[in-house]
Amino acid sequence: MSGALVASPASRPETMSLALLAPLWRFARGLFWLAVVLAVAEGLIVLFGVRPYYVPRPSVVIGAILATPTPYVQGFLRTLSETLLGFASGAVFGIGIGVLFFRARALRELVFPIFIVSQTIPVIAFGALVVLWFGNTLVAKAAISFYLTFFPVTVNTLLGLEGVDPRQEALMRSFGASRFKLLTHLQLPSALPQIFVALRLASALALVGALVGEWFGDTVGLGVLLLQGMYNENVVAIWAAIAVCALLGTGLYAAVSMIEKWLVFWGAEQ
Amino acid sequence: MPVATHHKGSSEPASGAAAPEFPAAAVPPLLDLRGLSKTFGAVQALGNFTATIQPGEFVTVVGPSGCGKSTLFNIVSGLEEPDAGGVVRFQGASVMAADLLGRVSFMPQRDLLLPWRTVIDNAVLALDVEGAPRKAAREQARAMLPEFGLAGFGDQYPSQLSGGMRQRVALMRTFLFKRELMLLDEPFGALDALTRTMMQRWLLDVWQTHKRTILFITHDVDEALFLGDRVIVMSARPGRVKLEQKVDLPRPRPAEVVISPEFIRLKRTLLEAIEEEAMKSFLAPGADGATTTEVR
Repeated sequence: MSGALVASPASRPETMSLALLAPLWRFARGLFWLAVVLAVAEGLIVLFGVRPYYVPRPSVVIGAILATPTPYVQGFLRTLSETLLGFASGAVFGIGIGVLFFRARALRELVFPIFIVSQTIPVIAFGALVVLWFGNTLVAKAAISFYLTFFPVTVNTLLGLEGVDPRQEALMRSFGASRFKLLTHLQLPSALPQIFVALRLASALALVGALVGEWFGDTVGLGVLLLQGMYNENVVAIWAAIAVCALLGTGLYAAVSMIEKWLVFWGAEQ
Repeated sequence: MPVATHHKGSSEPASGAAAPEFPAAAVPPLLDLRGLSKTFGAVQALGNFTATIQPGEFVTVVGPSGCGKSTLFNIVSGLEEPDAGGVVRFQGASVMAADLLGRVSFMPQRDLLLPWRTVIDNAVLALDVEGAPRKAAREQARAMLPEFGLAGFGDQYPSQLSGGMRQRVALMRTFLFKRELMLLDEPFGALDALTRTMMQRWLLDVWQTHKRTILFITHDVDEALFLGDRVIVMSARPGRVKLEQKVDLPRPRPAEVVISPEFIRLKRTLLEAIEEEAMKSFLAPGADGATTTEVR
């Protein structure tokens, strides 16, 4: 009987190598278009005789970075560490608090308004305090990064957990699932797409936090390079720092997106 | 055996549910429901529902839409408590509905497969929840794939499957959660007619090899008769037992049984009862218990 129902298995996609090549191809294409845009910018600046004080030629900026790469590499690594530390701790804390608020409604009603108020205060206002508390350390910058990161993650975690299909929850309960199993087997995976929307946003915010943190005092970092460029009216240095910041921000965003594609492979189906 | 046979529509005598091959004293019913009611705000979904299910029986439940079939299932699966006064006895003991959580294997209308789990992993979901060893559970599921028409699809994701296949994965999940009583809530409702017929015949095969007790909700009279040892017709809201009809068609049932005179005769009886109830719920939408019985 069942024989009649057996369909032939769909040809399994043996395209692993292609699947791996696709991102590389996209990356190469991205580089190509970046090069095109830079070349056009270069051409326009030369054509219209824009003064370097306003916008230097891209080739000059790249040349400046290549001439003295050390501060840029050090700044990149330093700011990257601050951002990653703040982002990671903010993400973990944000998801944890989201789950906690989801499970303990009373706590949520008590604490959530405080969270919202805390987020309405501009982070700059806290900068001096953070430096007093943590000194001129990496942790101080990470703390500001953390402050900007966790809130959107909390909100979206909560949103995702509350958006779980109640019929699916009923099914799990009919299997005798405990609250913990319900969380690990259904609610958290269901919320992942929502959580990642916040994580992508938070990756950009975490970088802002680290840069702002550096302005309150430090000697290494991309934020420091920006400040130095400004005080010295060294337009090329400012643009060079901006370029490295852009590289860092884009890289972070791309990394989070890739983890998302890998982890949330089913997309926002259903 | 308490049987609530309220049959007024037809002159044909409804054969009572007292199954002759089960001497009532010898085999205690697996599930015994007495006077179940359930009220949601102003709406009474169930009103004094009484029925028993014997071990190994295949009982189908039909009724007009909105007659409280799903509420009945939510109670029997443990998701909802009946109103005070109702009695649920399971395996000879009186229980709270919540005690049935994890003791009855329940399949809702939608397949509700988890998109991040493969066919195998979806099939073993209930075993995972129970904390059964993963490897053994998966091997067990893998061995069952051919029987469920899913051979070679074990590592696919639900989004890659057709509706009929998704439904079979959901059924496999229900079968793998080895409980004596299975509740199937319109499992084939969303399938096209041809696939549905195939699935019905296949389900009978699987039921006969696995020997479980099945309570099966449908709104399709043919399906109810073709599958069931007994058909329970529910009244319009508030749902109670309108008619219990024993189905004496021999098993295994060939596909042609649906055009046999006996089948047609049973179908006429059921249709009359259902029509009467459907008319009531049509004429008095949202009517409460008191007025529904007054219509006509």
